Amino acid sequence: MDKLGGALYEIHHMDEMAERDQWLNRIHPLPKLLLAFAYIAVTVSFPKYHLPGLLCMGIYPIALFILGEIPFRDSLRRLRIVLPLACCVGLFHPFLERQPMSAIGNITITAGMVSMLTLMVKGFYSVLASYLLVASTSIEKICYAMRLVHIPSVLVTQVLLTYRYASLLLAEANRMMQAYSLRAPNQKGVHIKVWGSLAGQLLLRSMDRASEVYESMALRGYHGEFCYAAKPACKGRDWLYFGGWCVAFFFLRSIGEW
Amino acid sequence: MHMADALVAPATAGAMYLCSTAAAAYSIKKIRLEDNPRAIPVMGVMGAFVFAAQMINFTIPGTGSSGHLCGGMLLTALLGPYASFLAMIGVLLIQCLLFADGGLLALGCNVWNMAFYSCFLGYFLIWRPIRQRGLSRGKIIGASILGSMAALQLGAFSVTLETMASGITELPFAVFVGTMQPIHLAIGFVEGLITAAVLLFIYEARPEMLAPTQEPSPKGRLSFLHTIAILGIAAILIGGGLSLAASSKPDGLEWSIEQVAGSAELPLGNGENGAHALSGQIQESTALLPGYAFKGSDTAFGTAFSGVAGALAVLAACVAICCGFRFFRRKRHG
Amino acid sequence: MSHIDIELSHVSFSYAPSAPILRDITFTAYGHDSIGLIGANGVGKSTLLKLLVGLNLSYTGSIRIGGLPVAKENLPKIREKTGYVFQDSDSQLFMPRVYDEVAFAPRNYGLPEEEVEKRVGKALELTQIGHLKEKQIYKMSGGEKKLASIAAILAMEPGIILMDEPSIALDPKNRRNLIHILNSFGHLKIIASHDLDLVLDTCSRVMLMHGGRIVRDGNAREILTDRELLESHGLELPLCMQGLLA
Repeated sequence: MDKLGGALYEIHHMDEMAERDQWLNRIHPLPKLLLAFAYIAVTVSFPKYHLPGLLCMGIYPIALFILGEIPFRDSLRRLRIVLPLACCVGLFHPFLERQPMSAIGNITITAGMVSMLTLMVKGFYSVLASYLLVASTSIEKICYAMRLVHIPSVLVTQVLLTYRYASLLLAEANRMMQAYSLRAPNQKGVHIKVWGSLAGQLLLRSMDRASEVYESMALRGYHGEFCYAAKPACKGRDWLYFGGWCVAFFFLRSIGEW
Repeated sequence: MHMADALVAPATAGAMYLCSTAAAAYSIKKIRLEDNPRAIPVMGVMGAFVFAAQMINFTIPGTGSSGHLCGGMLLTALLGPYASFLAMIGVLLIQCLLFADGGLLALGCNVWNMAFYSCFLGYFLIWRPIRQRGLSRGKIIGASILGSMAALQLGAFSVTLETMASGITELPFAVFVGTMQPIHLAIGFVEGLITAAVLLFIYEARPEMLAPTQEPSPKGRLSFLHTIAILGIAAILIGGGLSLAASSKPDGLEWSIEQVAGSAELPLGNGENGAHALSGQIQESTALLPGYAFKGSDTAFGTAFSGVAGALAVLAACVAICCGFRFFRRKRHG
Repeated sequence: MSHIDIELSHVSFSYAPSAPILRDITFTAYGHDSIGLIGANGVGKSTLLKLLVGLNLSYTGSIRIGGLPVAKENLPKIREKTGYVFQDSDSQLFMPRVYDEVAFAPRNYGLPEEEVEKRVGKALELTQIGHLKEKQIYKMSGGEKKLASIAAILAMEPGIILMDEPSIALDPKNRRNLIHILNSFGHLKIIASHDLDLVLDTCSRVMLMHGGRIVRDGNAREILTDRELLESHGLELPLCMQGLLA
């Protein structure tokens, strides 16, 4: 099915992006993860009528896209999920807030229009920021950064395993759906008669696979904890990158209040 | 039902991160105590299963549209509340990173709305009591539907509360709730049906997977009390977080409450009249709040327009500088 | 690593009493043997291999590996010396990258990181996949995955290798590579396979299973050229023999 195939493509594509040898990819994952959080938090914290200040926050994604040589067009695909949501909520604003704020020629700009735009820009920027994080940092490295901020290894290991087997089970589900649709033409989805057995088969196979994965771990000395090799620590350069952007965000946020 | 970053205020997001973290920490402690070395691989692979199963379209008979599996209720029946909660966190985290389904900042909210209710309430209040005196096909169907619907209702209500507390939307609380809940009633019902279908298949094929895990009954009571205690703490945390959010944003919770009080008197969905009355009312309420300098003054006209123009100029300059920088760097490297 | 023997006497196993899977299996495998385990689908080859590493402990009879009975308390010692290659590589390869995968066992046995690196390097060299060290596992072909899972086993420097259908998913070149790896391994190896040519190329002794029992145990060439015997147990002559004996 399209959705499954699309998801598989997306996983592979993001992985290839994160694998490239760019300066942005080489920066330690921890500052990049923290920066993504800081950027999104600062961006969404802008009051709803402060459009100019908010727009200026765009320098972070712009700089990363251009200097990190990340193709902008790919990121637009991800907006298709977020923008409709932001629009749904935002589209009511012009009807609900009708106080005039400004005018261009004869068109009155109401508060609602400004707050709708603000909301959309926030949605746009925050999606770009997390896209930039994943496009320059692989999931493993993000997990490594999570370990550094003391997120328990039970959770991190489990996320890594989910990531490892997600593409495998997506491919398996995809094959099942292809086999299904070849024998059930003119059906968009799965017929109610086989709801249980189709998803249930996949579930049983996943369970069996989980036992085999466990067996394979146990046979190689696993007893409840994963051992990770020490990886390079954060260098001065990485913290400089982090600090520089933090100062910039703080500056933009404070002058954005005029 | 994934919430996007733009729909939450940092304070709300932080409060929800706290709640979800508390639930996750408790689950991790429980998993470590159980000391079952199978737990991690099973959580990991079953997380991947949910990930894939969510993308299968299940045709709803007679409608032409399709339903989807969310997975929380299904996992909690198979793995128990703690393992399923952690597995769902993994799924939501990867979705948020790879597919922009829900944002990084809103992850705390999403974990709470989509995993906490189905995994914990679904297990302790619905699945376990129903399973207590043996399983039957009817019980499985009932528990799945009830659990999925309850979890989605609570989740949808939390989405509304979180959005409201963040002061993002101008929609009146009642309208928001009035649209969110009924939609999710239907979604929850369909999800319950799919969950029931899958569990019935498992019940036929491998009944031992649904059998209760060996937990002695007195200890079971204790852990139920624990859950109630966690819920209490969580409620306090949420309440605290929301009031924090409300106090940092004057147009947050109080305002939405004010709107609910106001709109209750209004005939809703009455087109023009309703909207007019509402906007009038909002103008009144905003007039009470200082800090919004836009009230039609000429100075605001100037700053707003020139501000946006200035901002766009800054962005254009940024593009130019970065492109120039890249150009020269490429040249230098040949 | 010195040679390790495997001794089984009167081993039976079943999930449900009504349907025994293994019945009364007795054999001794010596530390330098290379044994091919053959038989039709579902005769219990994989189950037998899994019993040897203690993945199922509810058997009757006695299994001893290097003198140690296969029981819960001896499992860490037994597993440290035994490498098991799963039929489905994807279940075995759970780490994101080849290096971490191969390093998994040495790290779990608490070796220092320099030693781990040395072991990984050696294992990758033996399997000739040094160039895949940093590759993500989900991007690899079936053959590469199989070689990676064998490397993961070799890094443990085991005294016994057990393989379940190793040549499935391998192209002719990788299959040749596998035969070379197997032949250069000097300790005990047991290979369960339908690929009788592979068995002929790598094993000196063959055990033919049928209905949960070992019906024949002897010289590889003798059994693998006995058309009648093979065909009556759901097998055929190895391809390289078919022309010669026709």
